[in-house]
Amino acid sequence: MSLRPVIVGGGSAGMAAAIELAGAGVASVLVDEASRLGGVVYRGPLRAGVDLGYLGARYSKALKQLHTDFAACAEHVDVRLGSRVVGGDAQRLMVLDEHEQLQPLDYSHLLLAAGCHERNVPFPGWTLPGVMLLGGLQLQIKSNVVKPLGGTLIAGTGPLLPLVACQLHAAGAKVVGVYEACAFSRIARQSLALMNKPQLFLDGLSMLGYMKLHGIDMHYGWGVVSAQGEAELSGVSVAPYDAHWQADMSRVQRQPAQTLAVGYGFIPRTQLSQQLGLAHGFSDDGYLRADCNVWQQSSLAHIHLAGDMGGIRGGEAAMLTGRIAAVSMLQRRGVLDAEQAIERRERYLGRLAAITRFRSGVERYTARGPAQIELAQPDTVICRCEQVRREAIDVALAQGVEDMASLKMRTRVSMGDCQGRMCVGYCSDRLRAATGRADVGWLRPRFPLEPIPFSAFQHLGTEA
Amino acid sequence: MNKTYDIVIAGAGVIGASCAYQLSKRGNLRIALIDDKRPGNATRASAGGLWAIGESVGLGCGVIFFRMLSSQAKRQAHGAAVAVDSSTPHILPECFFDLALQSNALYPQLHEELIARHGMDFKFERTGLKYVIQDDEDQLYAEHIVRHIPHLQAQIRWLDRQALRQAEPAITEQAHGALEFLCDHQLSPFRLCDAYMEAARQNGVDLYPNTCVSQVLHHGGRIKGVRTEQAGDFHCDTLINAAGAWAAELSEWATGTRLPVNPVKGQIVLTERMPRLLDGCITTSDCYLAQKDNGEILIGSTTEEKGFDVTTTVPEITSLVQGAIRCMPQLAGVNLKRTWAGLRPGSPDELPILGPVDEMPGYFNACGHFRTGMLTSAITGVLLDKVIHNERTPLDLAPFLASRFERVAVPA
Repeated sequence: MSLRPVIVGGGSAGMAAAIELAGAGVASVLVDEASRLGGVVYRGPLRAGVDLGYLGARYSKALKQLHTDFAACAEHVDVRLGSRVVGGDAQRLMVLDEHEQLQPLDYSHLLLAAGCHERNVPFPGWTLPGVMLLGGLQLQIKSNVVKPLGGTLIAGTGPLLPLVACQLHAAGAKVVGVYEACAFSRIARQSLALMNKPQLFLDGLSMLGYMKLHGIDMHYGWGVVSAQGEAELSGVSVAPYDAHWQADMSRVQRQPAQTLAVGYGFIPRTQLSQQLGLAHGFSDDGYLRADCNVWQQSSLAHIHLAGDMGGIRGGEAAMLTGRIAAVSMLQRRGVLDAEQAIERRERYLGRLAAITRFRSGVERYTARGPAQIELAQPDTVICRCEQVRREAIDVALAQGVEDMASLKMRTRVSMGDCQGRMCVGYCSDRLRAATGRADVGWLRPRFPLEPIPFSAFQHLGTEA
Repeated sequence: MNKTYDIVIAGAGVIGASCAYQLSKRGNLRIALIDDKRPGNATRASAGGLWAIGESVGLGCGVIFFRMLSSQAKRQAHGAAVAVDSSTPHILPECFFDLALQSNALYPQLHEELIARHGMDFKFERTGLKYVIQDDEDQLYAEHIVRHIPHLQAQIRWLDRQALRQAEPAITEQAHGALEFLCDHQLSPFRLCDAYMEAARQNGVDLYPNTCVSQVLHHGGRIKGVRTEQAGDFHCDTLINAAGAWAAELSEWATGTRLPVNPVKGQIVLTERMPRLLDGCITTSDCYLAQKDNGEILIGSTTEEKGFDVTTTVPEITSLVQGAIRCMPQLAGVNLKRTWAGLRPGSPDELPILGPVDEMPGYFNACGHFRTGMLTSAITGVLLDKVIHNERTPLDLAPFLASRFERVAVPA
């Protein structure tokens, strides 16, 4: 057991795991693709001298705390920034380092904490410049410290909507309206669950108060229908959504906007966990995710998962699951005995329980409405990389295509650079609806998970 | 859930789909095309080269196969019946040339027919195949090839250094020249398979995707059908084994004799989309390069005997990458988008296994196509349609019958 544990993802889960390991005297290797640790939640601004007041005092405090705790154990962590894990197997990762060279990284214990990505919803105009994903927009104001142009309309579901609306306004950007897909009554029904995190609940209420004070309208039970514009976005059409997110097209309203932020939720990243051969299952709304147990352990005993990769629960839960995974690794390495490990785990699980109840409440009211996939029109692009339109998928389904691999071959969906990250959800929904089967296959991610230069191989040997 | 058909085809790769298409043209047959998606399906992994001469003389996909044989022979040193080294090209027998060239000649017509009648375009492109000569050993190899195929001189062109630079400016300036095979072209492999399959469907063939054959049914010493895991029993008088790398198991269930078909793994590398950089398909003694209709350059492929393993492995990918950069230096600045591996259905003599077997009426082979399934799919569909109907075949099937192998007894 001479190899140090390897942690993929330097967000809150990965950092917390490294801190926990270091606390027990175990050094680790932490790999992250960004130029700064912290992940999308706690990366902070990429340039110095930025006043983060517009993000709120509690956020700034948590950001500082995490980075201070991490700095205190920095000597135990070999941090490799600007490094992307592009493949691997059960013993070795392939990392594209900051010099764009491919390096093998052997491991005996691995923690995958690579987070999630945003759910893409295809609707007419969704590929226009000016249409962004909500998390991506938030990252721009948080890390790149760049404000969107003109008026921003926010459409989606969940607590991130009012948060980003307030952050945008506080940063001096104009928010023309927030459209939450679910009805207010459905959120109200989850009040009890949401009270499990009273501070978050209060924050939520005060955000709504802030929005009201500054004249930002919050529309419950409304969602996006289409986006318009010639070369770039000029307007957004919204309409009332029913409980299944079926848009009422007789009541469409058009709002002028230069930026549309779309935030219909997050899905765990699975490209790496699939490539490593871990067992996966489908979540309730049809997305693939890697299996993990109460120790955050995957189907392979030496590989753990933490943070949103093991289920979407946000930054605070990510720290706790990162710590639990680290405790499990410490036990497997003989640093902790079973009793010590269970005692620590239970402490973290106790704190996780309230977050989990809170998140379950959020999940219930943000549950995706199945009728939203009907927004895409025959000429709407579904696969951006290969420019495949809905009509090509319609034809393939009519010709008897029944599974993801066949749909890929017939239409080229998912054959582009992103390997289907953006369109797999829509395609899976359509295939499941057409065949009535729950399992229509999923895309098998191929090495490399992201395009890499040919020159990255030039120093490698060809003997196994 | 019992179903009755005249013909059941097991395997909807490019071979099974071609058989289905040709048989469906008769219009009076009930045909089921059954397919079970398994990782490594060679049709989905293929490069789509129609390298009729190239593959027959051991270039293209065959060049790495040849190198493997060559290094094995060197390792074994003594006792090899045939001395194989880099100066003796690995040239397939005359019957394979006939099969490959006749099949190749069918594609232009087939391409038009599938577009016109069925709206399916498999992206046939006339490209030629250039064997790029990078050192003296390559030169010897090329000269040997030319000496072995005097009857095909009209399809061969020598390019000197300058002619090669003019034809293919992206190829390394270090290259001495090239030997071009004028009739060797390319297509999109999965589009070819989909085109056959969709045309067959339009002609009335029933498709059963994601359906796994688990047993072969017999009655009175002949084929009576197959059992499947998902769709019950299929009754039929005729069964075509087009199961690709998995054909051995099916042959054993059907006839009691296991065909010598084994998976031969090939890894492939794909670039991002590029502007048109290559005028034709390229083969070297390291790899082949084919720029496809959408601009991606496909680089293949390894030849490995690893059972049904389809993982991609860094040393093998690295060797393809380095071989490709050697031939086309600007690739060093290009992105690699994807790698994958497929399983060629290898046969011991590299010839496909086609037609009936004496001991099992109603059973037909259409398997063992090794590295040339795309190229020989067109003629395979035609041959199977003819032989099933006891009609005269456009070429002699004898060299391709399963009976050419010594029978391998199945352990009781």
